[in-house]
Amino acid sequence: MKLQGLSTDQAPHLSVPIRFFITAPLFGILAGLIIFFNDSNLLMNRYSLESIVVTHLLTIGFLGFVMLGSLTQMLPVLAGAKIPKAQTISMISYLLLTIGCLAMFFGLLQNNTFFTEIAFLALGGGFLLILGVIAIGIKSVSHFTSTVKGMGVSVAFAISIVFMGMYLLYGHLSHNITSLHLLIADIHSVWAVLGFSGILIISVSFQVLPMFYVAPKFKPFCKNRVVYIISTGLILWLILNIALPEYAFLAKIWLSLFFLAFATTVWIKLNKRRRPVSDVTVWYWRSASVFLMLGVFLWITDELFKNEYIVMVAILIGGGFILSVMIGMLYKIVPFLVWFHLNAMGYMNLPTIVEMIDKRLAKIQFLLFFTSLVGFIFSFYYGLLLKPSALFFILSMVILQYNIIQPIWLYAKTKKTKPDFDMSMFN
Amino acid sequence: MSTIKEYLTLDHRKCDELFADMEYKASISLADAKEIVEKFVAQTERHFQLEERIVFEEFEQKTGMTQGPTQIMRHEHSQVRNLMKELLDAISQNNKDKFFGTSETLMILMQQHNMKEEQMLYPLVQQHLDDDSDRIIEIMKTLVVE
Repeated sequence: MKLQGLSTDQAPHLSVPIRFFITAPLFGILAGLIIFFNDSNLLMNRYSLESIVVTHLLTIGFLGFVMLGSLTQMLPVLAGAKIPKAQTISMISYLLLTIGCLAMFFGLLQNNTFFTEIAFLALGGGFLLILGVIAIGIKSVSHFTSTVKGMGVSVAFAISIVFMGMYLLYGHLSHNITSLHLLIADIHSVWAVLGFSGILIISVSFQVLPMFYVAPKFKPFCKNRVVYIISTGLILWLILNIALPEYAFLAKIWLSLFFLAFATTVWIKLNKRRRPVSDVTVWYWRSASVFLMLGVFLWITDELFKNEYIVMVAILIGGGFILSVMIGMLYKIVPFLVWFHLNAMGYMNLPTIVEMIDKRLAKIQFLLFFTSLVGFIFSFYYGLLLKPSALFFILSMVILQYNIIQPIWLYAKTKKTKPDFDMSMFN
Repeated sequence: MSTIKEYLTLDHRKCDELFADMEYKASISLADAKEIVEKFVAQTERHFQLEERIVFEEFEQKTGMTQGPTQIMRHEHSQVRNLMKELLDAISQNNKDKFFGTSETLMILMQQHNMKEEQMLYPLVQQHLDDDSDRIIEIMKTLVVE
């Protein structure tokens, strides 16, 4: 009898996802500082150590943390997945990943072998540990929806990119950067962006857009096929890159078509949504959709420019699409989790989830973030724009940190002061 | 004849429809939305009673599990009922911020609750009460809300 997921102790403790969520903006701030104190020429070269460090502070420290936090929360509650020792493993993994990110930062930028070795072990161990238990959790699910299937595929891509990442970091440790290293770096980045993050976002959006915004449901074709079509495209892209690199653009077109279709679908669905509410999360979804369209379009046309614009593609897709969706999601999930946990403990007189975060500050945060991205893109042509854009980005991350910590303070305060239980709902 | 699972899932969608209509009307005029809010509350209450008084009772009798998933769902129903009361308060106070703040909380709470039921509890209920499906649906159709 499959009862897991419906029992209260199955829902992870609030600290499991929250520690990932509240650390993410700190890595954003650190990445912003590195951008601020560096030269645009270094950052516009995807193979410079500075751009590798900035990219990973954002992709692991921000995006990875938010995605792992969400997976550990959503899988048990929404799919009944039984993640073994979720609390202990997520804590160990969180510590390893935090240490790993910081060690990578020091190790690569200071050319320090000791720190790079720590990064190699901590990042590899931290990721494999938590992804391993998440994979076991997904295996325990008895009723697979398209979202849960997509999460499973995304986790499979995540595990592959962790191994590739370890290989790449080992290359830096042994100072052995071969042409294979560059090929794997390409696969690692494309699979991370489109395989792990892209597939996860698409699968979650099947559920989230109709649910949170009462938007029209996705067609069965999208829900049942798109994840597999994209996965096939990614594998094809890998094979072509190894065997017939001159034809790799065909797989690129394949992937681009489906991501363009997704970006358009998100925009149309938001237009057709039945909820009249337009909060900052809708703004984030809309900007994500536009940045994804531009990013994918540039990724394809960049073939004509011998990948000259690949950093701009990374800003558009990594920052504009993935980061936007993650921030938008934080604004929804953090207040709800706090409300849900406090309410379940019997505290009834709580602010609504809308009141937990200052709406005005959330909009300012969005505008700063959006402007910083546009600034980063134009820094490609006007190097002078880089520093002000970095400042805007840092400020947006500081405000994001403040905004998402507000509900947590409410949680801590309520638990500490223990206001009288309002038992009215049981009357 | 539909199954218990289908019957209750369809009933969720009716509540969702009313919820969307209710928010739409409230965004235009809170005062004019009173009727549809009451309709949504009544429909949701009916759904809860279908579950608590009929389906959960039958499930608990058949399986002997009274402290399991049905208990958790009952608790979440209480959370939803409490928020529905706040929605009605917001209408009587003509407080739009309170109304939409509450409806946002209610919407996420309800959706995650529905997903748990549709993906985990209803299949389980169907599995245990399959033979009695027709009889239970007939009882549900004639329920008089208390």
